[in-house]
Amino acid sequence: MTQTLAIFHDAYRALRARKMFWIVLGISGFVVLIFACLGVGDDGITFLFWELGPAGTWFVEPSEFYKFLFQMLGIKIWLSLVATVLALISTAGIFPALLAKGAVDLVVSRPISRFRLFLTQYAAGLLFVSLQVGVFCGASFLVIGLRGKVWEWGLFLAVPIVVCFFSYLFCVCALLGVLTRSTLVSLLLTMLFWVVLFMFNTSDQTVLFFRAKMEAEQEWRQVQIDAMEARAQARLRPAEKTTDHDRLRTLISERDDAAKTVRTLEKVHRIITISKTFLPKTADTINLLEYALIEAAHLRVGETQFLPNQARPSDEMLTVTASAETDREMRSRSTWWVIGTSLAFEGVVLGIGAWVFSRRDF
Amino acid sequence: MRVSRGEVFGLLGPNGAGKTTLVKIMMTVVRPTRAKGTVLGRRIGHKPTLRRIGYLPEDHRFPAYLTGREVLEYYAALSKVPRRTRKRRAAELLSAVGMTDWSDTRIAAYSKGMCQRVGLAQALMHDPELIVLDEPTDGLDPIGRRDVRAMLSHLRDEGRTVFINSHILSEVEMVCDRVAILNEGKVVRQGTLEYLTSRRLYDIEPDVPEISAAADVVRSALSTEPAEAVTVAGGVIRVAGVDAAGVQPAIDALRARGIVIRSFGPVRQSLEELFIETVSDGAKPGAPANTPPAPEAAS
Repeated sequence: MTQTLAIFHDAYRALRARKMFWIVLGISGFVVLIFACLGVGDDGITFLFWELGPAGTWFVEPSEFYKFLFQMLGIKIWLSLVATVLALISTAGIFPALLAKGAVDLVVSRPISRFRLFLTQYAAGLLFVSLQVGVFCGASFLVIGLRGKVWEWGLFLAVPIVVCFFSYLFCVCALLGVLTRSTLVSLLLTMLFWVVLFMFNTSDQTVLFFRAKMEAEQEWRQVQIDAMEARAQARLRPAEKTTDHDRLRTLISERDDAAKTVRTLEKVHRIITISKTFLPKTADTINLLEYALIEAAHLRVGETQFLPNQARPSDEMLTVTASAETDREMRSRSTWWVIGTSLAFEGVVLGIGAWVFSRRDF
Repeated sequence: MRVSRGEVFGLLGPNGAGKTTLVKIMMTVVRPTRAKGTVLGRRIGHKPTLRRIGYLPEDHRFPAYLTGREVLEYYAALSKVPRRTRKRRAAELLSAVGMTDWSDTRIAAYSKGMCQRVGLAQALMHDPELIVLDEPTDGLDPIGRRDVRAMLSHLRDEGRTVFINSHILSEVEMVCDRVAILNEGKVVRQGTLEYLTSRRLYDIEPDVPEISAAADVVRSALSTEPAEAVTVAGGVIRVAGVDAAGVQPAIDALRARGIVIRSFGPVRQSLEELFIETVSDGAKPGAPANTPPAPEAAS
């Protein structure tokens, strides 16, 4: 325990000695200050004394407004993007510094196994994000409590979730740090890895969205086809029948073509889902916080029901329907799949890193 | 190679001989392809034993954001020293290495010599039985070197074992009880300094008008030795490459011819001469090391 505490204490001192630590903490404070300045009253949203919009308390409860703000601005933009980049810059040097010539000898020659040393250093690296997120959540909790009159303890869920999200990237950074001993190389390659994850996630959502959109359109077509076939069976007038007949053939042809595309999209999505299973799910992990904080009922768009003889739905309508369906499907993903498989990836990467660190000569 | 408890042992060798690698293997910094041996009674690589060993690596680098005191406390904590003991030992050792005034200054502001002093102190923080020092006087000024020598003598007096790896032969000569010379990864010489530096060269000063005749007598008495083993310089016959017993026939032969011997005795080589002779052509790797028995149980 003495050794573990010493490594944690040293990591804290190392972070404290870096300007970046204070810069990130300062910006965190600034973001919380913006929270505090934003308000929602009867007449609308305000920033200090200025009114920004008409959506007042009649539209959104102050507590929901602040939670939404915390989720969108605090978590999605600040903690899981900007602060993460800054945290990676700050912590990418931990392992290269540990392995630097002259420094590594002093540490690995102690009565502590290299495996434990590696994992403790790794955990110490996560201290950076834990501190930043902890301070940010604490301050946000106070702001939301004082301004929104809701003491939302759920905000502190951000600490384990954001740390978990950061750990997916930091484990790769640690492995690269051990392999290359270069801060710059490990940082750049970790960023590249993050971009790859982002591309996977974007592809996942995009394919899901287009599939949902096409399925909605298919649903509309099917309703029209069913109605037309019913009318044909009722022996309508020949002229009307002829008109319906041509339209029916067009719709059936469109339906069959679209069905093929939907099947292709399903295949692509299956491949993406399988690939994502083996990769850390950064975006899905952050989304878990949103699902925990904001009730789905507040966001859910009513299910669209198409009527016979209804005109072709507009693109906007299909987009809304597809977005809601995409959101529903994303929310239906189990926490085990999102966190469990990501942590499994992390475990494998850390295992490789620890093995390399344990076997290496310095 | 055997290092006895309570002695100051020096490891010498040319660049690339494997001295630092050997030290790093002992300290588990390098994993050996093949290694046999024990340190403090435990096999090499036994991690818990490292708690009983203090180590100062060559070209060590401490975290620049720590102060001298924090460095000592941090590395001592890694060696499982309790908090109170760390505080006390840090103050004592900083004073012992003359760094009390700088103890709360960050390492970034230290000179190389100051880092070396703190390095020595950190190697002693956990009260080790064996202290392994790789180039301990590197970067130190003459006063610093003298202080280190005094500290090493003090450690020996306390019954601790000190293992020094150094290039500075004069330093080794001044502080070490025994040395080993490593060449191409093999121990080629090992023993006390007195034993190693005095055993292979003898001067005989006969009281004769014609020294060359006396030299011929010595050569014929040592006929098994190569002719170049006997040389004449001034009024002295120098016999090389034989031990005390080996040179006795020459003395006997001179006496048998009624030659008075004014003086006879071993010529002590300097450690530098021994080192150069050993690593150049004196002892090839693979040849059996001339090793006297260690005085007591090996560390």
